[in-house]
Amino acid sequence: MMFNLLYKELRLAAHPNLFIFTLLGALVIVPAYPYGMVFLFGCLGPYITFMYGRETNDIYYTSLLPVKKSDTVKAKCLLIVLAQMTQLLISLPFAVLRLSILPNGNPAGIEANIAYYGFGFIICAIFNLILLTQFFKTAYKVGKAFILAIIPAAIGVIIMEVIVHIPRFQWLDSIEPAIMLKQLPILVIGIVFYIFSMLVAYRVSANRFQQVDL
Amino acid sequence: MNVLSVKGLTKRYPNFLLQDIYFDLPQGKIMGLIGKNGVGKSTTLKSILNLVNPDSGTIEMFGKDFIKNEEICKQDIGVVLGGIDFYNHKKLRDITAVTKRFYKNWDDKAYHKYIKAFSISPHKKVKELSSGMKVKYMLALALSHKAKLLILDEPTSGLDPVSRDDILELFRQLVKSKEVSILFSTHITSDLEKCADYITYIKDGKLLRSAEKSSFIKSFQHLKEPGDKSELSLEEIMVRTERSRYDV
Repeated sequence: MMFNLLYKELRLAAHPNLFIFTLLGALVIVPAYPYGMVFLFGCLGPYITFMYGRETNDIYYTSLLPVKKSDTVKAKCLLIVLAQMTQLLISLPFAVLRLSILPNGNPAGIEANIAYYGFGFIICAIFNLILLTQFFKTAYKVGKAFILAIIPAAIGVIIMEVIVHIPRFQWLDSIEPAIMLKQLPILVIGIVFYIFSMLVAYRVSANRFQQVDL
Repeated sequence: MNVLSVKGLTKRYPNFLLQDIYFDLPQGKIMGLIGKNGVGKSTTLKSILNLVNPDSGTIEMFGKDFIKNEEICKQDIGVVLGGIDFYNHKKLRDITAVTKRFYKNWDDKAYHKYIKAFSISPHKKVKELSSGMKVKYMLALALSHKAKLLILDEPTSGLDPVSRDDILELFRQLVKSKEVSILFSTHITSDLEKCADYITYIKDGKLLRSAEKSSFIKSFQHLKEPGDKSELSLEEIMVRTERSRYDV
């Protein structure tokens, strides 16, 4: 059933922009660029798809299928996770490649290192949690949900990009293997927080959507 | 046997109350749900389908409690919500490819038979279909997974008389086998004269009467006015029941 729901999301519900923004994981190969933008694209993709879903009556279609009302929410959660994780996987080979072709680092902000991915998980988790739980209060007010979600996500990106310019936190900008090992807890915290947020987002959104009158 | 039993259905909105709706739809029959615009026909159908949360009432479908057996019951129903088009820019074949995955009883052969019979091109986009064709496409999907109950919200609204007659004739053919039952809402009384076996009339959020067509018509003959010689038609019944008197 989960596979069918995802198939439906990808074939009917997802806006083409979602696929393009997912490919933008490759931006970490740009020589001087705030790589936090990659995560913001990972947030914009789901937002545009939610807007598109409202235009195409996607929620009605899903609600009429032989699935539970909560599966409509599950389908959207799965789509967001799939898009963001694919974006991350796409970015990985480019992050490795830049070590050899761009050894002088990224003057614009944080390097595409382990801390960066840890922060990325946290930023996306905050965005997803707010977007999903706010959207499924009504299943149509997507603009408000996006504004409420993107502000803290953008603040997260700004903090990540600025903090590496402060001498005390410059270790967060390193691509030295030994120092990256020190960054590992940030990645672990990020992954755990992402999983936890998605589970909470699903449960709260499903409960809220149950009360919605379509 | 009743394929659908609605009991005590109540839904409160801040400015509207749908109160204590009850009716039974026997297997192999067509029931028309009538009433003016905005009296609660769509709310009734959406409440039956759990798209809207009723405040009270029970929905029994195929002898099972619908809310407790939502996934199982939905396997055997087909729904057309008038005025709500899905994925306007997608081709029908894409929508079919996704829809068929969710139904255990999906029959590809039957699907091809229906789209051929209804002259539907699977390569067309939803937006390229006329209103009548959209209803027929949704019916083709429903019949291809062997739906036993069709629930349609205003399927004939906005259709020309020929398309309307076409859809209603199709309804009659579908129930011939006694395996398909149909519940549809309409505000066009001639639809009911042509094809309904049972009529459920909702007025201002309340059930006025639900009965077999001939006894339904008989029960409203007290509305006859001096000079009326023949039996009142459904249109006359509805107009006389709803008529407003303005003191302006």
